[in-house]
Amino acid sequence: MANTQQNYFELFGLEPNFFVDQKDLSSKLKRLLQSAHPDRHAQGGSQQQMLAMQKTTRLNDAFAVLKNPVKRAQYLLQVEKDLDTTKDHTVNDPEFLMQQLELREELDTISRQKDASELMGFAEKIEQMSEQQEAELGDLFQQNPWDLDALKVSIYKLQFLHKTLHDIELAEDKILD
Amino acid sequence: MALLQISEPGQSTEPHQHKLAAGIDLGTTNSLIATVRSGKAETLADANGKHTVPSVVHYVKQDGSDELEIVVGHKAKEQQAIEPGNVISSIKRLMGRGLADMDKIKEFSANKLVESESGMPGVVLDNGIEKNPVEVSSDILRTLADRAEETLGGELGGVVITVPAYFDEAQRQATKDSAQLAGLKVLRLLNEPTAAAVAYGLDTGSEGIHAIYDLGGGTFDISILRLQKGVFEVLATGGDSALGGDDFDRAIAQYLVEQAKVESDDRRAHQLAMIKARDIKEALTDTDTVDVNFLDWSGQMSRDQIEEIIAPIVDKTLLSCRRTLKDAGVKVDEVDKVVMVGGSTRVPLVREKVEKHFKVPPLTDIDPDKVVAIGAAIQANVLIGNKSDDDMLLLDVIPLSLGVETMGGLAEKIIPRNTPIPIAKAQEFTTFKDGQTAMAIHVVQGERELVEDCRSLARFELRGIPPMVAGAARIKVTYQVDADGLLQVLAEETTSGVKADITVKPSYGLSDDQITNMLQSSFSHAEGDMGARMLREQKVEAARVIEAVTAALSENGKELLSEDEYAAIQSSLEQLNQTSQGESIEAIENAIEVVEKNSNEFASRRMDASIAKALVGHEVDDI
Repeated sequence: MANTQQNYFELFGLEPNFFVDQKDLSSKLKRLLQSAHPDRHAQGGSQQQMLAMQKTTRLNDAFAVLKNPVKRAQYLLQVEKDLDTTKDHTVNDPEFLMQQLELREELDTISRQKDASELMGFAEKIEQMSEQQEAELGDLFQQNPWDLDALKVSIYKLQFLHKTLHDIELAEDKILD
Repeated sequence: MALLQISEPGQSTEPHQHKLAAGIDLGTTNSLIATVRSGKAETLADANGKHTVPSVVHYVKQDGSDELEIVVGHKAKEQQAIEPGNVISSIKRLMGRGLADMDKIKEFSANKLVESESGMPGVVLDNGIEKNPVEVSSDILRTLADRAEETLGGELGGVVITVPAYFDEAQRQATKDSAQLAGLKVLRLLNEPTAAAVAYGLDTGSEGIHAIYDLGGGTFDISILRLQKGVFEVLATGGDSALGGDDFDRAIAQYLVEQAKVESDDRRAHQLAMIKARDIKEALTDTDTVDVNFLDWSGQMSRDQIEEIIAPIVDKTLLSCRRTLKDAGVKVDEVDKVVMVGGSTRVPLVREKVEKHFKVPPLTDIDPDKVVAIGAAIQANVLIGNKSDDDMLLLDVIPLSLGVETMGGLAEKIIPRNTPIPIAKAQEFTTFKDGQTAMAIHVVQGERELVEDCRSLARFELRGIPPMVAGAARIKVTYQVDADGLLQVLAEETTSGVKADITVKPSYGLSDDQITNMLQSSFSHAEGDMGARMLREQKVEAARVIEAVTAALSENGKELLSEDEYAAIQSSLEQLNQTSQGESIEAIENAIEVVEKNSNEFASRRMDASIAKALVGHEVDDI
């Protein structure tokens, strides 16, 4: 009996795992939506249409989580260890905290100067750091058993880098205006 | 309301019945209606062979008479130069807008704008009539629908109406309201560039990354889509819902007005300048110079000259293109095709600049005026259930971020722009005063940080929060956006379960009651027949529900339900069967509701099972 709701991995027919083939995920989403999307139920009654909207919403939501390494890692810890890592960040890593401050300052300076090419260079640097961090996070998830404290810190670091990339985009918007 | 009939996707329950459906492009300057006939989508012409209907309405009122004659299209447009005070054009610019938004376009409008009761701008005509934008659009829609119903020889079962992708909530809702007022069933609001992509994609079978550049009379949209095996996936969309070919005209008119030294309050002269400007722009599409006589001024204008005047407007559209590509995560050289949509893309400078920007020659194979209506007709035909074996699927996004006002007048984003729809997102808030029992929720849309720079969509209150210390309440605010891009907001205090919700109706819009009243005043019902008809309809509905649920139970009820659940549904069915023999409409209605409530979880599991099947049997293809 399909009584309990499937988790996001199960929805896509996947084992809970940090490593997700993005191409496969995206093609599965399309197959699932072919069946679930409200447009495929336009001739059904209002209950059927409401359900189709709910199912599609959940699929879109699941896809967004599984696509993003930070959200995927957080979700995986929640599913497997019932651990909420979305709140309360206490990172006791002075070196990283210092680096964090320096990167923020660098971005502030570039934003003030409105220097587009400087900003591009900075973005590339952060992207590279972000890729490295993601690889490190992947390594941690491959260890058995998981070192939960190390995972928390690693997720937080990646999250910080993603946030910085987002802020770079906002700064770019401002330069374009 | 068919219940539990989870038909296989795309399968029509009655395969041989062809239902009438149409796609409507409700444009700022021109509108069109199209339908699929014998497998081919085509726009419908009037008796004179004209396909486009100018989005112009002439309200004719004879002196001393209450009769109002509504003239839509070419005839109304002809009257524009003769009695501009009784003719309304470019009404789409006012849809979902408040009077305060109108400053920019007031000057060149022949009509006086006032604030009406609903907060919408009202257009006051010389003959004393006042019309709001929803009513005017509804008159245009009715004219189009009449044309389709005459041509096709039957009532339309549903329509797909296109809207600019960059339309916000208020503008979408206003569009849906006007369709409702025209007595039309809206199958879907479809974004114009997505409709164009459908027309192109299905016509040519082309795949890959497409940029749809859509410059209409009053709106500009740019959408980046990925086309793959019948799936049209919008990656990002952007634009400006108040920028279009009208702005070219206005810039040229401004030049004329300056040359002829027209007084700034001479509305008539400004209106004439707009008409003249449009003629000049069109003439210079094919020739290099044109002689101009405007009031006391006469002279020559060259294409170079008007290109200089309009270049800043075109450049503004290219800036949007750049941003949207960035949002889509697509580099300019990854774009395989650029499709031109909208009459304003006929302007040579637009084509030149777009080609230079995307580095590919833009496609204009399908008439840029008709392509949107054709795409809408194809989608309408699928949604009404005429096409059965088709895999076509449109995956769209929200164009603008949806947020909520937080402390200090800041807008916090709940759903960021370009998120695929339908989608729901929740955010938790708390009280900031001890004993606080209510919380105001202000729903906003836009990209800016300050609430005052965003569009206000709705305000509502969550009341009855049990008194607690500050910060103890947990207020979960959920935004749900449906496939039309329309928003519903739910607020709930989770420790106590106190709830409030709102279907977002724009601050400048019509309430459901207002629409019902307007509809009722336009139809007259024979009271006595109504009751009998409603009872008959309820009985038919009850029979349908019983049949559907019984069939579903025998198909996989045993598999998907516990014994108790099964029994509960079974007994509510028996109850409904008995009640439906009686004469009480209300009792039947209630009994149907009970069945629906009891079987909702079952329907949900049935759908899950059917969706899960989509993953099976495809694995081989992927290797």
